[in-house]
Amino acid sequence: MHKLNRTNRDKVQQFVAITGASEKNALQTLKATDWQLEAAFDVFYSQPQPRSNADMRRLEELYNRYKDKYSDMILADGISVLCSDLQVEPQDIVTLVLSWHMNAATACEFSKEEFVGGLQALGVDSIKKLQEKLSFMRSELKDEQKFHEIYNFSFGWAKEKGQKSLALDTAIGMWQLLFAEREWPLLNHWCDFLQDRHNKAISKDTWEQLLEFARTVEPALSNYDAEGAWPYLIDEFVEYLYDKSVVEK
Amino acid sequence: MVFGRIDRPIIFWEDGSSIIDESVTKLKRILEGKPETAFVTEQYMKNYTTIYDMCTQKPPENYSDQLYNKFRGIFEEYAKQTVLPSIMEKHDEYMLREFSQRWDINKIMVKWLSHFFFYLDRFYTARANLPNLNKAGMTCFRDHVYESIHFNAKQVIIALIHKEREDQQIDRALLKNVLDLFVQNGMESMDRYENDFEKFFLEETTSYYSRKASSWIQADTCPEYMIKAEESLKKEKERVTHYLHSDTEPKLIKGVQDVLLVSVAKDLLEMEDSGCSALLRDDKTDDLARMYRLYHAIPKGLEPVSEAFRLHVTSEGNTLIRQAEDKATNNNVVEQDVIRRIIDLHHKYMVYVTECFQNHTLFYKALKQAFEIFCNKKVAGISSAELLAMFCDNFFKKSLNDKSNDESTIESTIENVVKLLDYISDKDHFAEFYRKKLARRLLLDRNFNDEHERTILTKLKAQFGGQFTSKMEGMLTDMQLAKEHHSGFDTYIGNSGKPKGMDFTVTVLTTGFWPSYKTSDLNLPLEMVSCIESFKAYYETKTKHRKLMLIYSLGNCHLNGRFDSKPIELIVSTYQAAVLCAFNNTERLTYQELLEQLNLGHEDLARVLHSLSCSKYKILNKEPATKTISKTDSFEFNSKFTDKLRRIRVPLPPIDDRRRVVEDVDNDRRYAIDACLVRIMKSRKVFSHQQLVSECIEQLSRMFKPDIKVIKKRIEDLIGREFLERDTENPNTYKYVA
Repeated sequence: MHKLNRTNRDKVQQFVAITGASEKNALQTLKATDWQLEAAFDVFYSQPQPRSNADMRRLEELYNRYKDKYSDMILADGISVLCSDLQVEPQDIVTLVLSWHMNAATACEFSKEEFVGGLQALGVDSIKKLQEKLSFMRSELKDEQKFHEIYNFSFGWAKEKGQKSLALDTAIGMWQLLFAEREWPLLNHWCDFLQDRHNKAISKDTWEQLLEFARTVEPALSNYDAEGAWPYLIDEFVEYLYDKSVVEK
Repeated sequence: MVFGRIDRPIIFWEDGSSIIDESVTKLKRILEGKPETAFVTEQYMKNYTTIYDMCTQKPPENYSDQLYNKFRGIFEEYAKQTVLPSIMEKHDEYMLREFSQRWDINKIMVKWLSHFFFYLDRFYTARANLPNLNKAGMTCFRDHVYESIHFNAKQVIIALIHKEREDQQIDRALLKNVLDLFVQNGMESMDRYENDFEKFFLEETTSYYSRKASSWIQADTCPEYMIKAEESLKKEKERVTHYLHSDTEPKLIKGVQDVLLVSVAKDLLEMEDSGCSALLRDDKTDDLARMYRLYHAIPKGLEPVSEAFRLHVTSEGNTLIRQAEDKATNNNVVEQDVIRRIIDLHHKYMVYVTECFQNHTLFYKALKQAFEIFCNKKVAGISSAELLAMFCDNFFKKSLNDKSNDESTIESTIENVVKLLDYISDKDHFAEFYRKKLARRLLLDRNFNDEHERTILTKLKAQFGGQFTSKMEGMLTDMQLAKEHHSGFDTYIGNSGKPKGMDFTVTVLTTGFWPSYKTSDLNLPLEMVSCIESFKAYYETKTKHRKLMLIYSLGNCHLNGRFDSKPIELIVSTYQAAVLCAFNNTERLTYQELLEQLNLGHEDLARVLHSLSCSKYKILNKEPATKTISKTDSFEFNSKFTDKLRRIRVPLPPIDDRRRVVEDVDNDRRYAIDACLVRIMKSRKVFSHQQLVSECIEQLSRMFKPDIKVIKKRIEDLIGREFLERDTENPNTYKYVA
């Protein structure tokens, strides 16, 4: 710091005051941008928040709060505590969004890496900050692209470990949860159909294509292409709709 | 160099001119047939040299221009003063005659005068850029005679043609001359003929035949109409050769066809009771051949005919199928008659295609489409593929016994079978049923004709590829090899010095060629066990590293039945033999005892016992003597059994495995579809859904028609197994996952 001239020292101080970054970080960034303050701000804000030791410690503390007694994972109990801390119901869809941020492998458990990584990705290190992020996370469901990712993610997350397909009951539950966020008029018929006619697990392809179907095909099925590449289950669903006179042919 | 005579006197215009005039007058008189002496050589020469001189004299006595004009003037004056009036004062045919004659005269006159005036053509006409003498003469006629007359002439000509069409005699030579005249007056082009005559002629023709068509179509039947139409076309063609210019022919024929055939096509072909369908129904091959001839020349003319043909053949075929269905429900047995009748139907209509319809592809296609429809229908739940296999089976069995079937009948039946198979879409079903029946023929009937069996396989291979027949060929080869093994085994037994025991042969089958059979751990009678062991030992000496799996269900046994009245030889299957031999040691056995002793399954044991105790030959007595086998029954050797024959075959009916065959084939199809899809995607890398499905169907169509739903499911399965993936941008497209 002492080797810097007055102007640059001021810049560093200004930088720290505005961004809240450490002096060291401020120095690095300003040097990298040739002491241009504006450019330095751009660089700083476009970078992900770098790890700092203080953050890490707080996250670890948080993890330990919820971690299971016997294994190095947050399990169902821990998640209940987390939810009550956050003041959300465990079935609230925001927990799914949270799991997505964590890139959690399976429902109802978080590994240390997943937990810590997820919170860092959200840029929070305390329950309070996480709570503040909740409404943002809810809003992500409204974004077309993100919803798509969350939807696809939830297949792998909701299925049993080691299984290739998703059990029907779980799938129906997930669909009802997800489509509460995005109206799909044919949802109930779809669930009825599956229970009536299919009664088997759901494949990944069918899961993914269903979103496509809900997104692109009119409820009146006017633009449904029978010759298209829809999975056969969806073709059968369409047949079912015609059969039950839900839709006119 | 100047040609000329030295010292000749100048000929002045008036003199020269009058010499020419004199000759012209003389010429006219000659040409008009008036009494006049012919030209002598000197006169001829005089004319020529006069003109020659007048053309070669030095100006101002060079009269080339004037001579040319005079030449033209001669014709013009003649035309106006004489020729035209003489024509115009006549009418009709007389007028035409005069016109023709005057034309002939004109031609001669032009020729003669061109000779006289020849020298003008030598240099003058070309240099002055004027038409030559011949042309000039002709042009005069055209301009001053033809132009005024042609309209009337045309009217007369057309009236005459009309007369001829109404079957009256006319002077054809005259018409020919006059029409020639029209042509020639067009100078280098046909436009006079076309515009002044042909155009009107064609119009008149069209309206004439149009009227005819309307009246005929009301009154006549289709065949009658067609005869008249054919006749009309023939006459019109003749007309062309008699007096029309050949260029007119195509236009004329097209015009007549349009009116007689094209515009009435629908009414004609669909005429009730005599139209296309009726003719087909009533086998009127001559009329159909005529229909073909007439409509062949018209673009798309044959389409309605071929369509009617297709519908007719389809309905005939459907009727056959329906009749077979009806018979089956009454009789409870499906006759293979239906196959024979389909073959006959095919033959009948193939003759139509080759003879009535001159081998036209449209009709081959129609026949094919028709057969493809009804050949793929089921009769009483049995598919045509199976029926065809049954037909072949019966045919081969019969042909062994019935020597009256000569080679050519056998050959043609085989060919017909192959042709029929072409129409069946589930060829793989046929292959499997055929294979199963072939196995039975080879193994159980023993007496099979290797040559016939190979003939049909060769033909099937030629038509459908080696993969279709490879297994069956393997089966036949196995039978040949088995013979070698039989003799080898006999030698081995002889050499081993062991007692021969019972007569015993083993046929070794290559797994994979033959249909799969269940094995069972049948407990053989002791006598047979040692035979099996010795064969196994022999086989080891021939080939190592092969596992022999014994299939008792296919074996045959000859047993000596020592009955009270007389011994009878029984030809039975191995299972039956095992059961019967059990009674060698005990008088009476219960179902349960037999079950345990023999280690057979319930289904098999029940079948065997039924064949021995409840069917035609009661070798065993059953207690209670009901018609079916139950697990509480007991059995006794029926020593009282006898038959008039000394040797009888006790048949063991096979299990109905039709469903299994269909299931097996369907399973194979899944693999075939998978393999095909992967193959396509491997080469294409990226492919849209529709393209993938249609290419898959295309590739597999030689064997069977894959169900689109099944293909979709297989695609999804392949996605699950990570052979393929959907494109993220466009879920309708697939990508190959390496």
